[in-house]
Amino acid sequence: MTRNGPIALIFHSLVVLFMLAPLAIVCLVAFTPENTLSLPTRGLSLRWFEAVFRHPDFVQSFWNSLWLALLSATLAVVLAVPAALAITRWEFRGRGFLNALFLSPLIIPHLVLGVAMLRLFALVGATGSFGWLVAAHIVIVTPYVMRLLIAAITGFDRSVEQAAYSLGASEATVFRRVTLPMILPGVTGGWLIAFINSFDELTMSIFITSPSTVTLPVRMYMYATESIDPMMAAVSAIIVGITAVAVLLLDRVYGLDRILVGQH
Amino acid sequence: MSFLELKDITKSYGTLNAVSDVTLSVEKGEFVSLLGPSGCGKTTTLQMIAGFVEPTSGTIRLDGRDITHAKANSRGLGIVFQSYALFPHMTVFDNVSFGLEMQRVPKSDRRPRVEEALELVHLAAYAGRYPRELSGGQRQRVALARAIVIRPPVLLLDEPLSNLDAKLREAMQFELRDIQRKVGTTTVMVTHDQAEAFSISDRVVVMESGRITQIDQPYRIYEHPETEFISRFVGKTNLLPGTVQAVNDRAATVSLGGVPVEIDAGALVRGDTVTLCIRPEKLRLTGTGLGRLPGRVAERYFLGSQWLYHIDGPLGTLMAVTPNDGSAPLDTGEPVGLDWTPSVVRVHRGRLAEAPDPTLEAH
Repeated sequence: MTRNGPIALIFHSLVVLFMLAPLAIVCLVAFTPENTLSLPTRGLSLRWFEAVFRHPDFVQSFWNSLWLALLSATLAVVLAVPAALAITRWEFRGRGFLNALFLSPLIIPHLVLGVAMLRLFALVGATGSFGWLVAAHIVIVTPYVMRLLIAAITGFDRSVEQAAYSLGASEATVFRRVTLPMILPGVTGGWLIAFINSFDELTMSIFITSPSTVTLPVRMYMYATESIDPMMAAVSAIIVGITAVAVLLLDRVYGLDRILVGQH
Repeated sequence: MSFLELKDITKSYGTLNAVSDVTLSVEKGEFVSLLGPSGCGKTTTLQMIAGFVEPTSGTIRLDGRDITHAKANSRGLGIVFQSYALFPHMTVFDNVSFGLEMQRVPKSDRRPRVEEALELVHLAAYAGRYPRELSGGQRQRVALARAIVIRPPVLLLDEPLSNLDAKLREAMQFELRDIQRKVGTTTVMVTHDQAEAFSISDRVVVMESGRITQIDQPYRIYEHPETEFISRFVGKTNLLPGTVQAVNDRAATVSLGGVPVEIDAGALVRGDTVTLCIRPEKLRLTGTGLGRLPGRVAERYFLGSQWLYHIDGPLGTLMAVTPNDGSAPLDTGEPVGLDWTPSVVRVHRGRLAEAPDPTLEAH
């Protein structure tokens, strides 16, 4: 690894500062004892966190978002693993089309998707259905999972599978004991990015959530259009906290550089 | 009946035949190498024995049993891949143990067998390491241990040493042969390296454009190559096109561009177009005016244990190799005489198809 010169070091520090400062400010504001958005200059208080947990709509939305993100990320991975394997390894009719189809949600604005999904939900009579909300989220998070999986599978040495196969393993065993563990960095990384994307998706969800399925970002948006108080900062701090814990946990269990660089 | 039998094996991809009519018998305990340049079909042949590629026609029999269409995971063969193909997420022990686990060997029996296999490849101390913590040579041995621990009837080696550096490759050649002797497993190895094939095989199978062109002991292949391709591919050689001028009971005279050269008669008749083939080390450098042909040293190369000379003469430039016996070498420009024993000259019928391609010569 090359060492950075002093100018590069200052530049990198400024970039990091620029990216982290807003988060730090929001998290600080969350601890204010005041009634307005302000830095906690006169002591710290947890009153706004308490307010969040006393607010049944926010609690409900938090669980909605969590389940939604867990389900859509997991199902997207289940869907993407065989798809990515097929697309990377086999030549078949419609392969290029399938690949483009899976990645296409990346280039469609979420606003457009939101309107389209709203119409679709109305057509099939699924308005307000949590299941269909999950399906819509799967559509938008699958491209991320696919990208990471295809990257992981492309560098895969097929002879490792052949070795396992020649040693007497069945196809299912080869997948479970060899293929899956070897593409696990791609799978875990894809799942994490899918989770985060689903958890803070706002634009499309605004259109397709119903009162019982309102997600946390949508709830915050709705709340913020009416009034701005430090409770917003408290909710933000909670979201930042959850994401940070998820990332740290993953780094501990697996190593972030392995996920982001895709090494074994 | 032979232990492993390939009969008229052909593999076509569309109209292209990757392997054509390969017939080969391997005896129990034998070490056989498939030797040829890349694209000659040797790897495809190995993959058909392994079961990764299905032959278009022909049969493969193992110990009398037809395995032509058996699945790879039911053949029980041990395979060592060029890339080693170790399981990167498993320790050395688990890598070697994997095959036993698949064979449902009880856990208590697995440990001693894995340890025995690792002992054999001198890696007993590395059981707890991961493949990424090992050197190339060590990974290679883990791959070997993993293949032999299941006690396969046949061991298949796909260019097993080509990823190692020259020094290690040579050491591993002997070790590989040593281990194979100890275990006694019938072995088929694929290689493009003739030195590798020659030094450790009982028999060498030379392949060219999907066909077998010669099956013989390494020494016989080197000394009696059946085609001009083999004589070029295996070792260095001087190829001289000519026409048979005269034949008597014991000898024939071949005219090489006007220069008459005497050889053993064989079954030649007057007027035959032939290519003579003389190995560089069979040419003797004598004093000026002596020998069969005059010449002049054009270049000389020091190979350590030998000197390689390019000698200009009436037949063009010939290669000659002399052992480095400590005496002073010849200088560039020095006149010499070239001599050889008629019996060392090999004769191939027909003209050279093309000029010798240096890339096909041995490394």
